[in-house]
Amino acid sequence: MNKKSMWSFSFSTPVLVLIPVAVGINYVGKLFAQVLRLPLWLDSIGTVIASMLSGPIVGAISGAINNIIYGLTMDPISFVYALTSAAIGLTVGIMAYRGRINNLWRAVVVGLVVALVAAVVSTPLNVIFWGGQTGNVWGDALYAYLIAHGVPVWLSSFLDELVVDLPDKVATVIIAFLIFVSLPKRLVQMYEGEEALEKLD
Amino acid sequence: MARALSLYVEADTFVQKLDPMVKLLYILIAILIPFVILPFRWVGAVFILLSCVLLLYAKVFPRVLPLLGFSFLILISIVIIQGLFMPGNKTPAVEIFGLTFYKEGLLYALTLCIRVLDVLLAFALLVLTTRPSDLIQSLVKRGLSPRFGYVLSSALQVIPQMMSQVDSIMDAQRSRGLETEGSLWVRLKAFIPLIGPVVMSSLLETRERAMALEVRGFSASGKKTFLYEREPLVLDKILQWALIASLVISLVARFTVL
Repeated sequence: MNKKSMWSFSFSTPVLVLIPVAVGINYVGKLFAQVLRLPLWLDSIGTVIASMLSGPIVGAISGAINNIIYGLTMDPISFVYALTSAAIGLTVGIMAYRGRINNLWRAVVVGLVVALVAAVVSTPLNVIFWGGQTGNVWGDALYAYLIAHGVPVWLSSFLDELVVDLPDKVATVIIAFLIFVSLPKRLVQMYEGEEALEKLD
Repeated sequence: MARALSLYVEADTFVQKLDPMVKLLYILIAILIPFVILPFRWVGAVFILLSCVLLLYAKVFPRVLPLLGFSFLILISIVIIQGLFMPGNKTPAVEIFGLTFYKEGLLYALTLCIRVLDVLLAFALLVLTTRPSDLIQSLVKRGLSPRFGYVLSSALQVIPQMMSQVDSIMDAQRSRGLETEGSLWVRLKAFIPLIGPVVMSSLLETRERAMALEVRGFSASGKKTFLYEREPLVLDKILQWALIASLVISLVARFTVL
């Protein structure tokens, strides 16, 4: 089945319906991580699944809308990090399109790249808003140690974000991958093929 | 049926009745002026004060405190870390428990606190006094695609529905013997069986929802109309121009006086 272009901006109805569900999955992931008292956020699983299903643009939009909704309903600061979420969706979408994420090893690699991208995008935001801190105890302890020993603020802040993001994003992509491979084929085809659902006429 | 997510507080003041676009413009200006155009602490403080007055007037001020909660913890750690360790620290200011806090670090921390509070309060003004559906409607009126308007408002409805499944899935999986407490590895392993059912069912539902929307003419071309029409206020225009004027004045001040 030939795929649509990766950068297509035409959104079929199934894709538009997918975006709110992706945001919902992000919320549920975060909630379960809290209930299970996991030391991870796991709050971008839906964004990653949406990118795997229908590409970078939809992934980026899901990420951005996730933070807009979160900002409207929970914590206004989240608006600022819409940029990071969009970058996560974009990265996964591109990587999933270029080489299929078809085994666990590839999922780990994608997770590492996503963590790197997320840290690169978040660092300037962290420096502008929080002087470089992230609000995570372990990351901030590292940050305090580094700047006390003369490491530049930008590098300290980047490492602060990265130690938090690495385990979280790798776990997120692995979980999203495990869910993605167990999705029924007809569902996956609805998103990657030509807009089958709109061709009813 | 779960209620749509929202932080909106019902009250009857002009702030609630204002066009949401004016509040968005206020956020833009409350970020642009103290961050970029006039980066001084007192400018940020003026905006904080202004937001506080408006929040008090709109009778939503008590609701602001829970919103500040998370940021407040980071701000405290910023004061400690920057006060102790900032690279440019030279002048000792105070000594507590044998730790020396430096003036430069503390002033930098103060700048950061003012910036964060400024952004938070400006957004709080929008979020606490505007129904999300009103915000979306006014965005659609200003040219946002109605299809994206649907995406935003349906997210607000889908999320509570999905969240409401969380408890019953926990109970169902536990009754099948899933361990959800214990070592980190045990809890980590429990994650997939817990999130799996919500994700599967909600993704499968997208197929049906897409068909239901199509049947009702979701992709139909033609002009969309609104169920509720909002009466534009005279105040909308006045405040809009006042905000634009303040932007112009601050730009002029930036390039002439300073």
